[in-house]
Amino acid sequence: MLDQLARQIEALLVATDSPVTLNRICELTGCGTESAEQAVLRIEAELSSGGHAMVVARLAGGYRIVTDPDLGFVVGQLFEGKRHSKLTRASLETLAVIAYRQPATRAQVEAVRGVNSDSAMRTLLERDLIKIAGRQESPGRPLLYGTTARFLEYFGLDNLEHLPRMDEMENLLKLSADDIERMASELSGEESDQIL
Amino acid sequence: MSADSQRACRINIEDFEGPLDLLLFLIRRDELDVTTIYVAEVADQYLEYIREAEELNLDIAGEYLVMAATLTRMKSRMLLPVERALMEETEDPMETLMRHLVLYKAFKEVASDLRENESIWRDVFTPPGERERYKEDIIETDPGQASLLDLLLALENMTEKNVPPPRHRVRKPLLSLTDCVNVLDKLLPANVSRDFADALGKNARQAVVVSFFVAVLELVKRGWLTAEQRYPFADITIKRKEERWEVNA
Repeated sequence: MLDQLARQIEALLVATDSPVTLNRICELTGCGTESAEQAVLRIEAELSSGGHAMVVARLAGGYRIVTDPDLGFVVGQLFEGKRHSKLTRASLETLAVIAYRQPATRAQVEAVRGVNSDSAMRTLLERDLIKIAGRQESPGRPLLYGTTARFLEYFGLDNLEHLPRMDEMENLLKLSADDIERMASELSGEESDQIL
Repeated sequence: MSADSQRACRINIEDFEGPLDLLLFLIRRDELDVTTIYVAEVADQYLEYIREAEELNLDIAGEYLVMAATLTRMKSRMLLPVERALMEETEDPMETLMRHLVLYKAFKEVASDLRENESIWRDVFTPPGERERYKEDIIETDPGQASLLDLLLALENMTEKNVPPPRHRVRKPLLSLTDCVNVLDKLLPANVSRDFADALGKNARQAVVVSFFVAVLELVKRGWLTAEQRYPFADITIKRKEERWEVNA
């Protein structure tokens, strides 16, 4: 049996549209951070010991209650034909470069991939997985792109630190920073931002 | 047809995400390590592959051809004796390419990790929450989905808010037409031609130039002044025609 606080939080995590942050939970229930965290753990324990179909997911810096991915084969049928198709390899590669290198210009993405990434970038923008994050203060002031909160939710990540192999990729990017800049500046001479 | 080219035939260029992807494939197929690839060997295979694809009239993206050119250059560079000093000064393009391959390979692997995440989290469903009931408040619009009505409503919402009208500062004209004519009267002795731009000086502000230009037009209209321009955008030469200007007329 869940206590009153845990019940309140459970209700919030079910009813919400997007992951609820710990701060927001405290604000709405009037409890402290620590008791909120403890309560979330009690909800998780209750859900798993009771064999429920729901789990608490830590996504994009917050919590929400979602169905167990193991049951996707059943639930998916409800939404057949309505679900987005999986991302293409080109889109995934493009997204990977932006995620680790952000904010990144299109020329930087294309420098790493060695291939035009125009349509992949457009798909990612349309699906709200990347967003324009400003302009780079360099000749031509190219647009900069970064990932969205939707990106974190889509891949089940709590925050960008949880990207796969973060340390390894950060090191690699540090080592290749000059290479990427050089290749990108060679590329950006040829093209301009056409997305907007 | 050699054994190599037969193998090349069986791989489809559309299966690759670009020249780097194809190179990685060729290297892996022959179980070569990215860090110790032999340029000549890989270059030959790559070029062979592109040639095959061309023979089959496949549409080959420009990036593939650029890579082919780069590899050919590397190969020829290896065959030619290069002066030591030059070698040390310029970076070995082979090393640059290998670094690029290592970088691309890492991103390729990360992309496939993300693919795994995607397939797990695609199978995760959330309760619809209050999304349905409060739909109007948070209409999410796909590109091209907003109608003219949506835009007008959005505009109306904006104007309803108490936004103070933007302030404009209206500047008093600094020079009247009469002022300009009086100045020109002094600047132009009889029968002397002057360059319009020169007469105003190099640093004249735009507003001043415009005011004087209008004055010149007015004077030309009255037949007191002639203005000549040899071709569009050339300097304008002005010359007094009438001895006395009745400014206030």
